[in-house]
Amino acid sequence: MTSWRRYLGVDLGSTTAKAVVVAEDGAIVSSSAIAMGAVSRAGMQKAVDAALAGAEIAAADLSGTVSTGYGRRLVPGAQRTFTEITCHARGTSAMVPGCRLVIDIGGQDSKAITVDEAGFVQEFAMNDRCASGTGRFYEVLATSVEVPIEELGALALRGSNDLEISTMCATFAETEIVSLLAQDAPVADIASSVHRAIAARTLALVAQVGRHEPVVLTGGVAQNPAAVEFLARALGTEVLVPEHPQITGAYGAALLARDADRRGRPVADDVAGADGLFPRPSEPHACGSCDGTIGAPAGHPVDLGLPLRLGG
Amino acid sequence: MTVTMPTTTTTPDRSRRLAVTREGGRMIAEYWDELFTARERGKQIVWYNGGALNPIFQAAGLAWCHGEAFAARLAAQQLEGPAQLAGAEYGYNAELCSYSRTHLGCAVLTLQGDEGGSTGVVGMHDQAELASRLPRPDFFVNNYAGCSTGQQWDEISYRVFDKEVPIFNISHPFLWGNKPDAGYLAGEEWESASRYVRDQLVDLIAWLEERSGNRFDWDLLRESMTYIKRAAELRREGLELCKAKPAPATFWDWISCVAPINFLPGDQRLVDYFQAVKDEIQDRIDRGISGVENERYRMYFDGIMNWNKLGFLSRKFAEHGVAVLAGRYIQNAFWQEPQLIDTDDPLLGMAQHYLLCPTNHGTKTLDYLTLRDCAEYDVDGIVFHSTRTCRAFTGPQRLLARSAQNNLGIPSIFFEGDVADASFYKEEILESRLTAMLEAIDVKRAQAS
Repeated sequence: MTSWRRYLGVDLGSTTAKAVVVAEDGAIVSSSAIAMGAVSRAGMQKAVDAALAGAEIAAADLSGTVSTGYGRRLVPGAQRTFTEITCHARGTSAMVPGCRLVIDIGGQDSKAITVDEAGFVQEFAMNDRCASGTGRFYEVLATSVEVPIEELGALALRGSNDLEISTMCATFAETEIVSLLAQDAPVADIASSVHRAIAARTLALVAQVGRHEPVVLTGGVAQNPAAVEFLARALGTEVLVPEHPQITGAYGAALLARDADRRGRPVADDVAGADGLFPRPSEPHACGSCDGTIGAPAGHPVDLGLPLRLGG
Repeated sequence: MTVTMPTTTTTPDRSRRLAVTREGGRMIAEYWDELFTARERGKQIVWYNGGALNPIFQAAGLAWCHGEAFAARLAAQQLEGPAQLAGAEYGYNAELCSYSRTHLGCAVLTLQGDEGGSTGVVGMHDQAELASRLPRPDFFVNNYAGCSTGQQWDEISYRVFDKEVPIFNISHPFLWGNKPDAGYLAGEEWESASRYVRDQLVDLIAWLEERSGNRFDWDLLRESMTYIKRAAELRREGLELCKAKPAPATFWDWISCVAPINFLPGDQRLVDYFQAVKDEIQDRIDRGISGVENERYRMYFDGIMNWNKLGFLSRKFAEHGVAVLAGRYIQNAFWQEPQLIDTDDPLLGMAQHYLLCPTNHGTKTLDYLTLRDCAEYDVDGIVFHSTRTCRAFTGPQRLLARSAQNNLGIPSIFFEGDVADASFYKEEILESRLTAMLEAIDVKRAQAS
């Protein structure tokens, strides 16, 4: 008989709100990702509502809720908050068992996290100052070259010349891009050069924690195939991307809520997943759409197979 | 699930600061008030930076102003703005050491006050008052070791005063520590550098006698250094007591004690103060009072103090149950090796302490000192304050973090701030990184249990 205990993880990020409902076996029952501005309470409401609806449950049916992200302290009903570092490590390790380096690039920040064989955080580093090397940088590029963000990756992959984007500040980068446009540089070359520069920036972040393999890229930027490709080139290794990389933090949060409940301890008092044997989902990762669409019916997780493999 | 607005609450202060540091604060306030009126009392005034030359100035019959200390004082009182604005107007940009540009701004205000000029700092008259109160100097002395800005700082101050104030510069060899016989307080490099600096101190004393017309009082130097040595011993003893678990006092208490040991006159009052500090710490141990309510983690804090944020950081770390116990800026500075001082002939020991500035060691020595203190205080993690405008201090931080991880399994985080400029501090960055590190420590503890 399938357990009906359900757990919610909420990742209220700088630009997107994500929510995931998992079953007791760790399978994703439903998920959602809503882009509605910085630390948006309305976005959070929509994301949570969508995930609950997808799981066909009400908030009162939840056995535990954990929140993460910049807005983690704003999530009503969360018994515990964990940082993105802990949640991304937990979620990505569950999605891609055996990974050792998680690179998460979100809307406003980027992180490099090494995990041990059990999936626990070993070391981490984050972008130091501004939004350099983050999703914001890509948004600036897309706006400047007047290409939809969804098409930016394909454009960059068609570029060939390295035009040397030297600045790492998203604001100043815009100036450089405009200057290149004024010189009639090919748009594809501009796009590829920016991707190459961001990959180099990310490589510097990895250097702080040390290179480890396998490498997994998560966050919204991981949906950009060029970002994955250029990072793989910079690292000189394959970069794995889970099926829906935006939700790894929320997924990790939900698993942490599940882990605590399993041990019979209040979520607020539990140590993150440390029970000697790191719990693994008994079924492969499965989830619905990450654009606000409702996921699979409750109790029937969808098996979407192994992570995508790109680059290298 | 309905979203409701969170209720604003005030986090209770879980830090338990030493009560005796209020007396230290009073001593410091009295010192500066006396300095502001020194000229009216017939004193000649020396502005200096870097190592604690005050015992020499005391014996030379001078009033002394440590520029770095005054900049820190302004920042600690959130009064650094007018000086920094005046400095900015003069051309000192935000990337310059914020100690130096604050103090240079004070120099500008002092000079303009003398000349009846206007700083252009509109609408900040009340705040400008403290920054503009330093009396015009009669001498400059620079005693910085391992700092690329320090010597230029006094050189620029000299220029601000139209090159009319004489300047004496003490040169400090960098202690690379890479010769075969080199070690902490050991080796030919250490011995020769010590003699070299000592000889310059002799020259400084002769220079001061000539320039000031005052006869140097060697007996007073020996007397003041006797007091300073004793105060430093008491300070070391108090620090040792903080290795207890839970710690009876924390890094923030010792930060509050920096000014007294750094530049107050060497006298009985200084000794009495540090005796009282030690006594309060011992009393806390005896009565089971901890420096942080419910201490859960012990941290090493590397970086020059973020003076604008002293109280804030004290409360923040305590909020997480973190007792910050050690750091280069405390354990490895401020007459930290009193056994080196021969009170009958103190110049060599003084010279050695000036060389032992945390910014004057090669990586090998810094590594030794950092790992030693992490082990002795049984530290769980390191918080690196990436002091934005002090490259001398931040330069080796990544190497130290790597070494602590590899040799002791101690994790680290970095956050950005500055010594006297709050604008570089980012709250969420420190909060999220600190929390992430504590979560990782919790996991490892659970694994080990």
